[in-house]
Amino acid sequence: MELSVVIPSYGLTALLRTCVLHVQSGLAGALPGRTAIVVVDNGSAMPYQADDLATPDVRILRLDRRHSFAAACNRGASAVPAARYLFLNNDVFLHPNAMAEMLEIARHETVGILGTRLVLPDNTIQHCGVRFDAGERGPYHHAHGRPSSSVSRATTFPQAVTGAALMIDHGTFAALRGFDETFPFGYEDVDLCLRARQMGVRIGCGQKWDSLHLESTSDRRPDRHKASRRLFFERWRGRYSIDGDEGA
Amino acid sequence: MNYYVLPGIGIHGGIKVGFQFAQLLSEAGAPIAVATPGGLAPSWFRCGQPVVDRQNILANAGPSDTLVFSLPHDYPMLKATGARLIFHCQGTDPLIDPVLHDRDVTILSCWEQAARYARTVAGREAIDVGISIPDIFFYDGAAKDPCLVAFMPRRGATIAERAMKHVRHLRYVPIDNDTEEVCAATMKRSGFFLATAVGEWFGLPALEAMAAGCVVVSVPVVAMEHLRDGDTACVVEPARLPTVLDDISGEGAGLRRAALRDRGAAMASRYRTALHRRKLESAMRAGLKDALSWN
Repeated sequence: MELSVVIPSYGLTALLRTCVLHVQSGLAGALPGRTAIVVVDNGSAMPYQADDLATPDVRILRLDRRHSFAAACNRGASAVPAARYLFLNNDVFLHPNAMAEMLEIARHETVGILGTRLVLPDNTIQHCGVRFDAGERGPYHHAHGRPSSSVSRATTFPQAVTGAALMIDHGTFAALRGFDETFPFGYEDVDLCLRARQMGVRIGCGQKWDSLHLESTSDRRPDRHKASRRLFFERWRGRYSIDGDEGA
Repeated sequence: MNYYVLPGIGIHGGIKVGFQFAQLLSEAGAPIAVATPGGLAPSWFRCGQPVVDRQNILANAGPSDTLVFSLPHDYPMLKATGARLIFHCQGTDPLIDPVLHDRDVTILSCWEQAARYARTVAGREAIDVGISIPDIFFYDGAAKDPCLVAFMPRRGATIAERAMKHVRHLRYVPIDNDTEEVCAATMKRSGFFLATAVGEWFGLPALEAMAAGCVVVSVPVVAMEHLRDGDTACVVEPARLPTVLDDISGEGAGLRRAALRDRGAAMASRYRTALHRRKLESAMRAGLKDALSWN
């Protein structure tokens, strides 16, 4: 298998269906055949049925209780091993060309982890790479809230990318033993990227195409996010380089 | 894997130059992290390099790894790991002589004087990898106070104090324990920069001040690559520094000041990161690529 697209999801069936349709459209252009889509049903109250997704080509991996995002991603990747994995939030609607761009960057640059530009419904940037600031701010989304048209379309090589749409090669993912499942929700993606960079892995972020991210539609539980943030800082405070303020 | 091994993360030019070099290697595709005590990252300048624990690297590095270093004190420890070694020569203290004589160690030079030293002492041809100034230092049109003199009191404070007593029509602003951003902003709004560190190998702050549009009055440094007396800076012995500062800041010296600023800025522009990147490409072809690990 060349690529497994792993989508952890909890409820929100219509949202998931739209997400999957966008993935299929992207896969058709980027990698016809030799791909799989794995929906990790992360303990949804009503288990997903194949019919819900309006396509027979999706494998549903049912978890009977709700796990962390990290654990759900890891289970999905284990279920369908591939040369690369694309972890995707169910509220991300990929641009049809986004996956092709990520694969193209991976082919020409020595990068092991890739992200892609994500925009909010008002066409402002949600994600185009993660930067790091000193002090309490820590990691943050570069150019967040700026009109997408005003931010350069050149490929970037940030210190981290969001797990909302994160592609990683199998070797790197295996060497890192996947996402760290001790993160309840959030920061497991940044942790993964920082650990990868310590191994010499470069991170890239495609900027050509705008994919829509409805951001946190599926999980609005700040308690878990706070716990993740606390864990992240315990582990990484003082141990990442400072990019400085954006635009300065 | 490649590791740039550093002794600390404090405010020293060598630390920044090490990170900067690692960053360029990374951009060139080399897998590299910086090894620091406790795996801590510096917060006083910008960079994007990953850091790892130095102790851990010293304990686990082996023949498939390459260790880059610039401090001669680290040499015996690094040699004992069995890893391939690259010496990033940032100074020419005779303490580096055993490193230069070790033919298994690849020698890189940041400036011409260091390359000459390697040639003279050990008959070694160093690979020129250059040095650069972060873009943040380049003058961007910020309002300048022509009577403001920036200086760094950590080294040569007494020289600066003598200047303060002798030249009273100027105001002085110390750059001390500040982040790179604050340092650059201070230089950009200052008319002059006093470089008072006697025995400096290269004199990076003076070059950064040239980029920031300052008239530089400097004590001599070892490399003297960018400090050309009467051309890019006023280079004087410490005892004469106050007198020269008084002279160059006087009313009748406006044209000379403008010329020094212009030529200083031109000199600094030769040390742009973009040019440094190109120099590194040449260095890769000249043997650096073979000395690095690509696993």
